[in-house]
Amino acid sequence: MAEPRDPLRVEYGSDLHGLTVVRQAAPPGAASFSATYVGPAGWGFDPPGQEGIARLVNVLAPSAAGPYGRVELARRLDRAGATLSRQCAPESAEVTIWGPAAEWDALLGLLAEVVRHPRFDPDDVARVRRQVLERQLREVSQPAPRAERELLRAIFPKGHPYRETGLGDRRSVARIDRAALRRFHRTHYTSGDAVLVVTGPARLGAVERAARRSFTGFAETNAPHLDVAAPPTPTSGERTVELPGRSQVEVRLGGPSVARSAPEFPAVFLANELLGGRPLLSRLFQRVRERGGLAYHASSDVEAMRFGGYWTAQAGTGAERWRKVVAMLRDEVARLGRSTVSAAELGAIRESTIGEIPLALESTTDAHELAVDVAYHRLPADYWVRWPEALRAVPPGRVRDAARAALDARRAVTVVAGPLAPA
Amino acid sequence: MRAVRVPRPRTRSFVLPNGLRVLLAPRPESPTASVWVWYRVGSKNEHPGITGASHWVEHMLFSGSPRYGKGEIDRAVVLVGGELNAFTDTDFTAYFTTVPREHLSVPLDIESDRMTRALIPDVEVERERTVIYSEREGNENYPEFRVEEELYQLAFRTHPYRWDALGRRSDIERMTPDELRAYYHRYYGTRNATLVIAGGFDPRATAAEVTRRFSPLPPTGDDVAVGDVEPAQRGERRAELAGPGTTPYLEVGWRAPALDDPAAPATMLLDALLGGETRLFAAGAGWGRAGEHPSARLYRALVDPGLAVRATSEYRPRQYPGLFTIQAQAARGVSLDRIEAAVAEVVERLGRSGPSPTEMRDARTKLARGVALAYEGASRTGFRLGYFAVLRSPEFEDQLFRAVLGVTAAQVRSRARELFRDEARTVVRYSPTAEGVDG
Repeated sequence: MAEPRDPLRVEYGSDLHGLTVVRQAAPPGAASFSATYVGPAGWGFDPPGQEGIARLVNVLAPSAAGPYGRVELARRLDRAGATLSRQCAPESAEVTIWGPAAEWDALLGLLAEVVRHPRFDPDDVARVRRQVLERQLREVSQPAPRAERELLRAIFPKGHPYRETGLGDRRSVARIDRAALRRFHRTHYTSGDAVLVVTGPARLGAVERAARRSFTGFAETNAPHLDVAAPPTPTSGERTVELPGRSQVEVRLGGPSVARSAPEFPAVFLANELLGGRPLLSRLFQRVRERGGLAYHASSDVEAMRFGGYWTAQAGTGAERWRKVVAMLRDEVARLGRSTVSAAELGAIRESTIGEIPLALESTTDAHELAVDVAYHRLPADYWVRWPEALRAVPPGRVRDAARAALDARRAVTVVAGPLAPA
Repeated sequence: MRAVRVPRPRTRSFVLPNGLRVLLAPRPESPTASVWVWYRVGSKNEHPGITGASHWVEHMLFSGSPRYGKGEIDRAVVLVGGELNAFTDTDFTAYFTTVPREHLSVPLDIESDRMTRALIPDVEVERERTVIYSEREGNENYPEFRVEEELYQLAFRTHPYRWDALGRRSDIERMTPDELRAYYHRYYGTRNATLVIAGGFDPRATAAEVTRRFSPLPPTGDDVAVGDVEPAQRGERRAELAGPGTTPYLEVGWRAPALDDPAAPATMLLDALLGGETRLFAAGAGWGRAGEHPSARLYRALVDPGLAVRATSEYRPRQYPGLFTIQAQAARGVSLDRIEAAVAEVVERLGRSGPSPTEMRDARTKLARGVALAYEGASRTGFRLGYFAVLRSPEFEDQLFRAVLGVTAAQVRSRARELFRDEARTVVRYSPTAEGVDG
């Protein structure tokens, strides 16, 4: 049977003791390969008192593993013309390998080595701990990360996995030893509830065989349970953080939003695109930058995860202008939930989004992101093929309703961080 | 090692009678088409009083031309699912638009309209002034930006590389619409531009369309050589900065050769050995500096023993002699004196003993493998072809790559001795003040 060659359509393969194998064809003409392991290893699982451990493990795994020390692993990658990267989020952590398609089998084996057998060499642990400590300082002293941190703390209650940014604090990171790292790795880098996404020239059968070879003996445990209670609805409020000596003020608005798999996600997605998600066309960009000349960046995002999410609207501006920018952001968020968007404005945003799909197929890396999204959220294999249809089925009234519920201006929290008074 | 070449796609090039240089790189399988226009104008063409003019003009090219009113360029591209942006550097300004292949005419129409006829109205200049100010302020939030700006200001006294492409604050406050229009009319035009199109299109039909749209434009735009020659540095220069931040930060710079200098390839290899990669030929989906390089000398000397949390080097060869820089962010509790001494020891040792055969072999392998996938995707193809075309020629990439691979250990050693001289060094140190770490 011919296998799909359309990179918009993924193929779900067999389940290797809980590890779901997903294959995606590379875009036409692409000569590279990408594979990603995503597991239930985000910082929402940090044990109390060891905050920061998920990030440490996520950084350390692709650093030295199995027979490869840090330098040997780097050399092995260089010889293949490949790179390893990683990402950590509240619910999950991922490790990605990228390199020449001709070597996909060997590179998949290397990814398995890194995911399954990180070494946690003492020197390496000490180095990453120092780096995390510096990032903690950056998070409190830089306006942008500080505003984001304070916003999440204002939206989500203590103990909620979305409340933190995963860096822990000085004491918690100091407390994490090698044994704790190994324990966290054993529990969370498993086959249970994890996905392996492969984008490249190989057919599904070959990918499955290679995955079976590379991931044989992978710890088969039940997926850890992430406790995500619904956050209490935050009441609108404003929090300011004075950071003297900086040049720019960072403004954030936000609140809880929907999960990625929620039925209303397409409507929420469009509402965000209208607000600030669509570059250049969005209301925030047009009003704050193009007409107001008040900021270099003004945008919005919806962070939709498995169990819930949050939305943010943001801009960076001068000390003498931030009050005006905050008022504009609030006004635009409120308008989106109050008035029905015109069919013309919605049509433009929607068709622009749909028209952009070919750009996501320029390279293996671009296409791979689509497949990882589908696989991690267990969306249908033809999700991206049907995406235009899903968007076109959303009428203007539903966008307004979605905005009112999932980008709720009435209960938005505002955070402002930076040099609040003009110099 | 087998002969390695840059996987540059086959291109067709021609020059219109008005001087516009055109490069076509068709890839029949590509779902997108990417249009890049590169102008040989950048902050090198500015002078005190109008620093930042190149960058400001770049912004103004989105604010109106005869067929496109304010915001209509963005709208025309985004409505067909495309993306666009622009950037300004010391030596060039580049505009790019990537669209689904069937909409290639949209960016061609836009670029032909604004190449010589951008309007730059007074009211839009004023509105953009605060946007540009805001862009600069966003950068100033980072100590790394402040340090680098200070470093170039100290290292250069004559050459325009001494200011950042964003321009000085005082010039952004003062510059007039007339000055911006004069700048645009002097440097923008067919004679000073290279149009690159990469991706899914029929080369014959596209060549005809380019000719039809761009041929009527007048032959304008000057490629003006910089007359100011920076005299040799005859003594160390240094500055101490303080402000909010995390841990102490250091950047050291030495005068480095221009792109076409015969010493450039060995300097690029020095960058690969010290920092872990050389930006023009790095592996990865982006434009280099993707990750850490634990086998690099700076990393082993500063990060491994716990002196720094980050340490790397950068040498991006430019049209005129620039800088080779080393940056290091101290670990908590480590003084900049210790960091600076360690950096001095690393570069001195490289000049004394040279690289080992293993290091040379690894560096060459990394370069050879890293460049293999450099041309994947229409946008990246347009970028690379244009980058080398605007600075020299697309073919120069092959020549440079071969030269870098051919550098010997003895040449690296001798280059290190020539480059890392104390009297040619500029040092900027940044110490965080207490308020920055209040968390």
